[in-house]
Amino acid sequence: MSYVEVDHLNFSYPDGTPALEDVSVSLDTGEMIALIGQNGSGKTTLSKCLNGLLHPTSGSVRVDGRDSRKTAIADMVKRVGYVFQNPDHQLFNATCRDEIAYGPRNIGIEEDEVAVRVEEARAVVGLPESELDEHPFFLTKGLRQRVAIAAILALRPRVIIVDEPTTGQDARQSVEIMEFLTGLNRDHGHTIVIVTHDMDIVARFADRLLVMADKRLVADGPPSEIFGNPEVMSRASIAPPQITRLALELSDLGLPSDILSLEEMIEAFSKL
Amino acid sequence: MTDPAIEIIDYTWKYLHSDGEAVRGINLSIAQGECIGLVGSNGSGKTTIANSIDGLIPGQYHGVKKGEVKVFGTEVEDYKRGELQRTVGLVFSDPEAQFTAMTVEDELVFGMENLGLGLEEIRERLEWACDLADLHALLEKPPYEISGGQKQRVALAAVLAMRPRILILDEPTAMLDPISRAKVFDVLSRLRQEQEITMVLIEHTLEHIVPLADRMVLLGDGRVLHDAPTRAFFDDLERIRVQGVVPPGVVGFSGWLRQTQRYAGESALFLDEAADQARRSVAASTAGENR
Repeated sequence: MSYVEVDHLNFSYPDGTPALEDVSVSLDTGEMIALIGQNGSGKTTLSKCLNGLLHPTSGSVRVDGRDSRKTAIADMVKRVGYVFQNPDHQLFNATCRDEIAYGPRNIGIEEDEVAVRVEEARAVVGLPESELDEHPFFLTKGLRQRVAIAAILALRPRVIIVDEPTTGQDARQSVEIMEFLTGLNRDHGHTIVIVTHDMDIVARFADRLLVMADKRLVADGPPSEIFGNPEVMSRASIAPPQITRLALELSDLGLPSDILSLEEMIEAFSKL
Repeated sequence: MTDPAIEIIDYTWKYLHSDGEAVRGINLSIAQGECIGLVGSNGSGKTTIANSIDGLIPGQYHGVKKGEVKVFGTEVEDYKRGELQRTVGLVFSDPEAQFTAMTVEDELVFGMENLGLGLEEIRERLEWACDLADLHALLEKPPYEISGGQKQRVALAAVLAMRPRILILDEPTAMLDPISRAKVFDVLSRLRQEQEITMVLIEHTLEHIVPLADRMVLLGDGRVLHDAPTRAFFDDLERIRVQGVVPPGVVGFSGWLRQTQRYAGESALFLDEAADQARRSVAASTAGENR
């Protein structure tokens, strides 16, 4: 059985508006996943169902064998963490230290253990020790995002969902954040789910794509396969990276359809 | 000769509590009706320049200014209160930062009422802005109930209804999905066809601004490092890349074709141009082998 099992999940908001229809998916530990789709396609609602903030209207979400409806939220957030798109919507403590300690304290962890976890999370995200007693709002957005991730890491969840980690970041910072998340995945075995609109980031860093469109999960597979499938792309109103579109346009020259980066394009073109 | 819309001369700005200068020795002239793309890594000075043009600097920030920033020939500090803001419209990446009203319609009308416009004029401009940004169906809705893409179109329409002669867009689509982003850029290109408006567009993803920009300006460490018409801007890709700015995929590919002598000519800007260059280079090498 997978770590996260979503089975025929339907979710409607209290006013009856449906947000998810018949979503079934399983996530294993150690996966690097991108969740993509238009605004309003259900990405955030699905994320919130995965960490127990929302409960299925019908169907089920099981994490580590536990039914989300029968499990206390404190037990869920230990397993699936969610990092907000805007770290400022999540940070509210006066120091980075308190911010990171807040989650573990809230689920009743002893102070000694809290201190251990704060140090562990700080080290993993690479927040300088000297910044621990700073107010988060004096840090750059990149560092604030790291504090937000550290606050989630301190709960030691197996799965970490990060909503739009690269918004507002320049190219270099985006790569830095993504390399950091890749490290969490590779070196610490976390399953990482990034929610994003940036297809270049998806192409470069994700091993598996979940594509949402109009409340449903419409595709699930490796980026090269999904970007090469025009039907899925148009249903989800998503365009593959520009370089992938160029390779598809030139497929009659003998270029493969699974090109995801400029480097791959140059390599394939050189062999023509 | 008409004045440039924006003229920045030997301009240096240092925020009061920061160590270095945010921008230094900037010289930049933008003609009326021109659209420029302003690119560079975070911290390179893009937003400082945007805020200097609309008078937020030095108006709302403390610091030390040297040099001149002129809008339509007049130094920004010499404008009467409120007059510069009527001339220069500003759109941010987070539209919620500018919302104040309870319905989309009120949001759109708010700025015009503040300008003291007559009812007839307000009605006319409301109609025009709603047409341009495709907002008629949303007028009765509260701004917090609409999607991110719709919010950004409302923010844009609210600014356009003030009929600014200069529009500054600071990462206007950072939070939007590809379809919503395309709609916002569609509004901007229709706007450019419809009237003479000067635009300064700040974006990290160059693929989005290339179709709109007449000219691109690269900033690094507070200085202008490169300033050229959009196609020529991409002549030397290394110069852009060392600043942490990534050229669009097809421009990168075109650069490689040219660098490896597979194609001689100017940079491609669009997918169809790059595809054409690729085909020509393959055809040329096949012809060479057969000879």
